[in-house]
This record gives sequence, structure tokens and C-alpha cells, in this order.
Amino acid sequence: MDCYTANWNPLGDSAFYRKYELYSMDWDLKEELRDCLVAAAPYGGPIALLRNPWRKEKAASVRPVLEIYSASGLPLASLLWKSGPVVSLGWSAEEELLCVQEDGGVLVYGLHGDFRRHFSMGNEVLQNRVLDARIFHTEFGSGVAILTGAHRFTLSANVSDLKLRRMPEVPGLQGAPTCWTALCQDRVAHILLAVGPDLYLLDQSACSAVTPFGLAPGVSSFLQMAVSFTYRHLALFTDTGYIWMGTASLKEKLCEFNCNIRAPPKQMVWCSRPRSKERAVVVAWERRLMVVGDAPESIQFVLDEDSYLVPELDGVRIFSRSTHEFLHEVPVASEEIFKIASMAPGALLLEAQKEYEKESQKADEYLREIQELGQLTQAVQQCIEAAGHEHRPDMQKSLLRAASFGKCFLDRFPPDSFVRMCQDLRVLNAIRDYHIGIPLTYSQYKQLTIQVLLDRLVLRRLYPLAIQICEYLRLPEVQGVSRILAHWACYKVQQKDVSDEDVARAINQKLGDTPGVSYSDIAARAYGCGRTELAIKLLEYEPRSGEQVPLLLKMKRSKLALSKAIESGDTDLVFTVLLHLKNELNRGDFFMTLRNQPMALSLYRQFCKHQELETLKDLYNQDDNHQELGSFHIRASYAAEEV
Amino acid sequence: MSPLDRIANVSILKQHEVDKLYKVENKPAVSSSEQLCFLVRPRIKNMRYVASLVNADKLAGRTRKYKVIFSPQKFHACEMVLEEEGVYGDVSCDEWAFSLLPLDVDLLSMELPEFFRDYFLEGDQRWINTVAQALHLLSTLYGPFPNCYGIGRCAKMSYELWRTLEEEEDGETKGRRPEIGHIFLLDRDVDFVTALCSQVVYEGLVDDTFRIKCGSVDFGPEVTSSDRSLKVLLNAEDKVFNEIRNEHFSNVFGFLSQKARNLQAQYDRRRGMDIKQMKNFVSQELKGLKQEHRLLSVHIGACESIMKKKTKQDFQELIKTEHALLEGFNIRESTSYIEEHIDRQVSPIESLRLMCLLSITENGLIPKDYRSLKTQYLQSYGPEHLLTFSNLRRAGLLTEQAPGDTLTAMESKVSKLVTDKAAGKITDAFSSLAKRSNFRAISKKLNLIPRVDGEYDLKVPRDMAYVFSGAYVPLSCRVIEQVLERRSWQGLDEVLRLLNCSELAFTDMTKEDKASSESLRLILVVFLGGCTFSEISALRFLGREKGYRFIFLTTAVTNSARLMEAMSEVKA
Repeated sequence: MDCYTANWNPLGDSAFYRKYELYSMDWDLKEELRDCLVAAAPYGGPIALLRNPWRKEKAASVRPVLEIYSASGLPLASLLWKSGPVVSLGWSAEEELLCVQEDGGVLVYGLHGDFRRHFSMGNEVLQNRVLDARIFHTEFGSGVAILTGAHRFTLSANVSDLKLRRMPEVPGLQGAPTCWTALCQDRVAHILLAVGPDLYLLDQSACSAVTPFGLAPGVSSFLQMAVSFTYRHLALFTDTGYIWMGTASLKEKLCEFNCNIRAPPKQMVWCSRPRSKERAVVVAWERRLMVVGDAPESIQFVLDEDSYLVPELDGVRIFSRSTHEFLHEVPVASEEIFKIASMAPGALLLEAQKEYEKESQKADEYLREIQELGQLTQAVQQCIEAAGHEHRPDMQKSLLRAASFGKCFLDRFPPDSFVRMCQDLRVLNAIRDYHIGIPLTYSQYKQLTIQVLLDRLVLRRLYPLAIQICEYLRLPEVQGVSRILAHWACYKVQQKDVSDEDVARAINQKLGDTPGVSYSDIAARAYGCGRTELAIKLLEYEPRSGEQVPLLLKMKRSKLALSKAIESGDTDLVFTVLLHLKNELNRGDFFMTLRNQPMALSLYRQFCKHQELETLKDLYNQDDNHQELGSFHIRASYAAEEV
Repeated sequence: MSPLDRIANVSILKQHEVDKLYKVENKPAVSSSEQLCFLVRPRIKNMRYVASLVNADKLAGRTRKYKVIFSPQKFHACEMVLEEEGVYGDVSCDEWAFSLLPLDVDLLSMELPEFFRDYFLEGDQRWINTVAQALHLLSTLYGPFPNCYGIGRCAKMSYELWRTLEEEEDGETKGRRPEIGHIFLLDRDVDFVTALCSQVVYEGLVDDTFRIKCGSVDFGPEVTSSDRSLKVLLNAEDKVFNEIRNEHFSNVFGFLSQKARNLQAQYDRRRGMDIKQMKNFVSQELKGLKQEHRLLSVHIGACESIMKKKTKQDFQELIKTEHALLEGFNIRESTSYIEEHIDRQVSPIESLRLMCLLSITENGLIPKDYRSLKTQYLQSYGPEHLLTFSNLRRAGLLTEQAPGDTLTAMESKVSKLVTDKAAGKITDAFSSLAKRSNFRAISKKLNLIPRVDGEYDLKVPRDMAYVFSGAYVPLSCRVIEQVLERRSWQGLDEVLRLLNCSELAFTDMTKEDKASSESLRLILVVFLGGCTFSEISALRFLGREKGYRFIFLTTAVTNSARLMEAMSEVKA
């Protein structure tokens, strides 16, 4: 265990950064990463690759292939790109792939390469073409920002509720800005761009020049800028090899660093976490990776291959052709425990437990030491917390074992934190598995919430795992198992190669009478896929007739809808169907249908009596109901007299 | 008094900034208010009024806010009408799911008098959902009902619908201890006879004479012996009324005079009191006595007024005829009494009622009688009543025996119709056929006419027949009694067949016996289509005898006149 901190790199006096491998990728890349448009979704999301044939001046005779991989490199989808040239790829918060085309059209694909929809970024964009585009995340959802050929910006803060905003012009802008980024402050999206030595902030109405506080002189151009995951911090890389790090408002400087490399970096991203001790920026060149913070020395890594950085909430993911790594600041609890020669209570407890396993009396000494300081509770908590931040199950286990060992010597230690951590780790280890490929860290998982995680599993069609997690965490059925089953059923009805009977039976077997599952929703989905017969079969399982009727009407099974409505006993429903039928059928057929449904007939008669007397007469005529016809005329004569 | 008055009277509404109250009718509402709120039953007619009002405002160039609140629920047809009249966008609609109005400690009313006509005449099932909702509400409040019985098509449908509601929202009532042990649903058309008879129990008589509306009655000047009329709330809180409401009318006078004497005696105690006692008396008892005094005088006035009216109308003769009809003797004499009644133009409603009673007890009138009675009626009261006759025939209240009418002939007719594909026709035919009353046979089977040995002592009633002077046990109440005794319909097959309800009676008992013995004494009786005060009195009596406690839920409190008016096409 002495070498446990071997991959820890100190940055300044207080913080350590470590990089560890998440997966060794065995994806079969045909192209070099540098030749591709790459997009990787945050929170351990999927990776999309599109070989970029348009960049080269060569006319593209071969259509490129859009490939989607899980974070562990398992292929999820692969499709031939048939639309226009793509400028930028990006993932939305719902894990939909947004492909921004040169003409301003945005195509939206699902995780499995299924086409969802497309939208356009407006005429202005269409005319001037797209020069560059960014997909960014806000608290409302995912936004798209576009730089057009006329050097104007257009953005939409939320693609699911598309509202285009054309940003004001930058005075005197001749060429494209050297770098730019979308910022999100106070719930409003801005654009920050650099032109030569000047920085401009574009908001809805105005364009204002800004200067970073305390920027070193001599800067003639900004080469790269990076916004932190939470939009709170900003880093600027200048042509002098100087890096300025500060708040996104540019009013405060955190630190600066001169790396003396003048080549423009390939990527620059923030690597920090909530309550970070030492915020740092990761800068990547072709073969060099540098972690820069408020310290005279930076941490340097050598990159063997083309790599791509993905900023995360609490670190940076780095993937290349062969590996997928995670770089982050070592969390406090882990640092306290594992730091060399640490005397923190957690460290002592871990040691005590190890000695205990060796049946050594030293265990008691260590334990006594902690107890004398009255820090046992703290020690247990530290071990639990540190376990959460460990990636390797064996380390998680030994930390949890230490926590459980320490717990024995405490009278009243509330067990929930321990239990919850065990559960969470079990879930995390399950989803981190190579086959699932969602490398979430504990903090990301907490931020994402279990509900969203389940949604993402459902999105990946990992229904069994999702259900197991629900059952394991004992989530209420309506939120958990039955919701997932409903999703599964909706997916199932899309399998066109299975016969209607088999699908209906399979769905009913799985779902049974699970509460909270609406068969009519599933049927609606089946109808949406053009499987009317299947939809009708599924509706048979729907216990509430009221739910069956609207869909039946939509499917033009009005007569069936009518009998279902009558079965439900809801006269309003019957009436709705009647009106529908009236418009759909010709008069004769309509009356014939009514004749077979006495309840509907009397309802309709009642209505006619007040609203459509002529129809009433026709109805009686059709039925040869002479008695009523006579009464009708008598009534009419009295009514006429009153006038 | 309207249901709204029972909940929020004018002064409360005014406190909440209601400017003025109007009746929804075909008249423009002259008001300067900026907002109009319509609280309506979901009827198409009402919608037309609302629409015409809104359109009138539009023509006059006024803009107001309109809110339509439907009680107890909104119907699609109503919104349709608003839409057709082009005002749907101008009004906002809302629902007030108010279905149960407690009129008394044991009487809940849905205040839906139109239920009777809508369902039993027009075959409109829209209110069934409302009934089911009301039952659902009760079961959420008082736990599940362990034992359910019912008779009639509507009862069955309501019950089934309610069950579905329960299943959809299960979990809430499960595991609760039931507070109401039995529930009995009964269609009005199972027993028209009882509802058609003249009532002689005090409360029923007050209802027949003065019309009780929403548990309150308007006593005119002839009762109050002043020039003002008086609104009196009739319920268990009225101590005097509570003691006489279930009594046969012949006892009421004696009781009231005894009460008057007692009251006098209590007043007289004043004499010979010292100051302290006097102070006590004034502060504690006097108010109660005064109150009682006032109530007593009201009821004595009411009694007098009833007596006056009834002697004028030859009440004895009328009652005698009714009893003869119920017992089935001297039919010819009764028929001529009815003819005389018609010819003297006593009252169109009354005459109609007697004809219906004759028809039902006699299983339909023979064609000769039917025609002559109808002719006389139309000549006496006017030809506009023609449509009423057609309605009564459809509802099975006043029917003509088919020539050569025997049961077998009828049955063969039914079976012939069943093979016919047009299912709609069957039900239509069925509804007129099924109403064959078979009253005489049922009466014998259930022993509805008590054997008279000597005078029936109305002061000390022996059975439920006392509500009709000992001449007839209400059919509906007898059925309830029998079923409760057996805890099922077992052994009543013949009765059910005669009632044409073989398919429409149901029992549902839950296996687990969680119900406490106390809750098993509590019975909820649901009358679909209305119940009369006589029936309520009879069941209250049954409850006292057998140690049950009955709670009544009715779509509306009804009586013979209301039934007839519901069938009438001539608007009074």
C-alpha cells in the first residue's frame, strides 16, 4: 500500500492531483481522433465520432460514418452520414446528439443513432453559413451558439424550447474571433469572444469590451479560453504562453501562470470540483498535458496518443485510442487518509483495522489513540466518505471494512450514512462496469440523482439493470420498477419483427397489473409505430375504459370506442364518441350504430331534444317509431303556438 | 329553499361580496357588476340561458367576466351547447363536486329531482356516475361497506360503476374498519305503488300539503294565522316536530294538545317560586319553553290547515278508494270514483295519480277503461295532457292491457323479440314490458296487506303498515326488511321474478368479518329516483323494532305529486 500515492502529483502546497485509468478502450477506430469531430457527453456519457471529410479541401466522395460509443468504447450505433456538412457535434442534457450543419440546420439523434427531429437556426444563419458552433448546458437545458460567416452570433438557450436570439454586432470585427465561448450567468446566456488583444462580452442587447483584472501586459492575442463546468470560472491562454485564471465575470483573478509555450493548445479545460482546494486548468497540446494552478510548478504528463478532454463536475476525463482516464484533485477525505505519514483519524482507523486483521495488538494501540482524541466518529465518517471517492472496489472494501470496524466501538453511530454509501457504491460499481460504461464518480452521481441515472439506463435500453437497481434501492414502484417496465414496453412495441400476439403477450406477462403502468400509453406508442392491431390488443389490458376511448377514436375504431365508452358508464365519454361518430359516418350509418346502442341512443335523443329537433325527427323516422313521431309533432305544435 | 340556501345563505354570500342573486332563467339580468357567476345544474336549458345572457351583453357592447360553475359535475353536452352558441371562449367553466346534502341526521339528499325523469322516462344514464361518485365519497369517509344488496337496473349499474371507482383508487379504503355494515340500493321503479299513495304520516302529509323543499317548509298565512308566511326548518332539531314526524296523523292532534298542557304546566311552575328560583327559570328554562311554545303553535296551525284542506277534499273517501285499490276489491266502484274525480276537476295531478295507482295495482287497465278514462281526462283537463299519457305509458305507470293478455302471450312476444337482431328495440320493448307490475301477486307473496282483526291501533303500531293507516305495508320497505333478515336474496326468487328483477338483484358480501356488531346495525338505504317520507318513517319504525339504524340516501325526496309532475308534459 506504500505505493498507493504513487500517482499523486502535488500542485502547490495543499492539493494533489491524480490520474487513473477508467477503461482500456478497445474500440476499433478506423480514423485518428484528430481527423474526427468528437463529442463526449458529460456525466460519463457516450462519445460520438464523425470523421470530418469536409475539413480537407478534397471533395468528399465517400460518405462519412457517424459512430456512437459508450464511455467504455462499446459501439452503440453507427450510421452513414447522408446530410450536409457538419460543423459541430454536441450532446444535450437528455443525451441526444445535436449535429450542427453548415447551413444552420441541427439534426437531433438518439443515443442509438435513431433520428429524432431537426430544427433550423434561422435564415440569417442559412445565408451566411456556420463558421463555428458550440453546444452548452444551462439550467434550462442545452443550448446552441453559432458563429456565422458574417461573424455574427446566434444562440438558443434551450433547444427543446427553441427561441433564437441574434446577438448584437461586434463593432469593427473584420475576421473571425480567435476564440470564443458561451457563458451562462444569472440565468442568461452570453458570448465572450476575443479579437486580437481585446475581449468582448455580448449579451442580448449590447456588446461591451471587457478587460480581465490584473492581466499581465504584452498580450497581443488570446488563443484559447475555457469556462468551468459551473460557469463560475474562466481561463485565458494568450499568445505569450501566459494563462490567466479568474472568475467568469473577469473582475477577479485567481492566479496566473506562465508556461512559456507559445503554440496554441489543442484543448484547455478546467479541472476543479465543488469546494476545490486548488482549482486548476488542464491544457493539452499534441503530446503534452499540463495541469496548471496557483503554484510555481505545474504538473506535466506526456500524451502518447491523440487525446480528447471532457470536463466533468469534479475532474477531467481524457480518452484516446487505447485508454480512458480520469484526472481529478484528490478529495479531502482520501487525502487525509492516504497522505504519507498522515495522522488523521481516518488514516489511523484504516491502519488499526489492518492490524486487527493481522491479529496484531497494534490494532488496539491505534484505536486507543483515536479514542483518546475523541475522534472515532470523525474517523468512521472519513473512511465512509473516502470509500465513495475510490474507483477500485478493493479499496472501497478496505475503507468500508475500516469504517465498520470503527463503528463497533461507537455507541450511537447512526448507520444510515454507512448503509447508504454501501448501496451507492454497489450501484456505481454496477454502472461503471465495462459493459455498461457509465464512469460516474460519487459526486457526479449525487449531482445527477438516481432518477436521472435510471432514465439514462433506460435510454441505453439497460432495462434489467435499471430494474435491479430499483429493487435493490427499494424505490417506490411507481417511480421505479413500473416506470421502467413501461419504457421497456414502449421499446418492445417498436420491434417490428415480432408478431403482434407475441409482443402483447410478452408485455402483459412482464407488466401484469403493476400499478402505475398505463397500457393506453404503451398502446399509443404502438399506434405511433403504425401497429394498430397491436395497439388494440394492448388496450384490452387497460383496466380503465376511460383511458381506452381516446386512443381508439384516434385509431378510427369508433364503434369499438363507443362500446368501451358505454362500458365505462361515463356518459361524457359516450357523448364525445357520439360527436366523433356523427362527423365520421354518414347519417344513415350513424343512426344504425345508435340503434344498436340503446344507452347512446337515449343520450343522443336527449341532446337532440334540446338542440337539434330536426335530427330527432329523422331518428324517429328511421326507427319507424310512429308513436314518438306523433308525440313529436304534437309537442312541436304546442311549441309553435307559444311563439 | 334551495340547496344553496342550506349551505350559504344570502347574507353569507353578501359577506363574500356577492352583489345580487338571480335565478338562472330566460331573462336579462340587470346588473352593473363586472363579473357574473352562474351556479347551475348541468342542463342544456340552463346553458341556453347563460348563452343568451352573454350574447345580449355582447350585443350591448358590454364586457364582463363570466364563470359557470357546474354542480355536481360538468357534462360535455353543456360545453357543446356553449360552443354552438358561440360563447365558449367568453366563459370559464368549473365544477363543484357537491353531491350530498345532509337534510337531517339520517337523511342525505343529492337534490337531483330530475334524476327520476331523466333515468326512468328518458333512459338517460348520466346521473349514475354521480351516484357512484357519491357512494365512493361515503366509502372513503366511512370505510368499505361489507354487505351490499341492490335491486333494479340502475342500482346494479351504479353499484358496478362505484366498484370500478373503488378499484381504480384502491388502497385508501382498504384496511379501514367499516362503519356502515350494510348498504341497500333500490330503484324507484321497483315500487311505484308506495310512492303513489296518499301519505298520512305527519311529515309526509306536510310534504303532500305544503311541499317540503330541502328540509324546510314555507307555512303560509293560513298556518301562521298572521299575514306573514314563515319558513320552518323541519329536522331532528325541531323537538316538537321530531316527536310527531313519524306519527300517524290521527295521533298528532292528541299529542300536540298533551304537549300544550305540559307546556302550560311548566309555565305554571312559576307561581310559588322565590326570586332565586325565578332567576334560574328565566335564565335557563324560559328560552327553551318559549321556543317550544312557538314550534307548538306552528305545528298546531299546520295541523288545522291540513285538516281544513282535507275535509274539503273528501279525504276519507279518497283514502278508502286507495285502500280498496291496494287490496283489490270493488274495482268498479273505485273506477267510478276516479271518473267522478276527473269530472269534478278536483286536480289534474291527483286524478292522474289515482289512474296510475289503478293501473299498477290492476296490472294495466283493460282497454275499455283505459280509453274511457283517458278520454274523460283529456276532455276535462285539456288535450295538452295527451303527451303525458304517452310518457306514463313509457314509464309503465299507466298502461293498457294488451288484448288477450296472458303471461304466456307476453313471454312469447319477448322471446320473439330477443331473436330479433335489433337489440335496441328489445330494450325499448322491454322497458314497457318489464314494467308489468304484478302487484297483486307480490302483495300476496310478501303479505303487504295485513289481515285485519279488529281495529288497527294506530297509536301502538304493530308493523310498518301504520304509515298507511294499517292498510298496506310499503313494498320497498318490506323488500328491504326481508333481505336484511335473510342477509341475501335467497328464497325471494319468486318475488324477484314478479318484480321483473331476476337479473337485477345482487348481493355482495365480503368474506372477512372485520365489521363490528355495532356497524352491522347501521344500514345505508339508497333510493335511486327518490323516496317518500312515508318510506322513511316506515324504515325508522322497522329500525326501532329490530334494533337497526337506517341512514337514507336519496336522489331527492319525492311524493306522488312530484312523480306525476315529472311525467307531465304540461308545465304548470
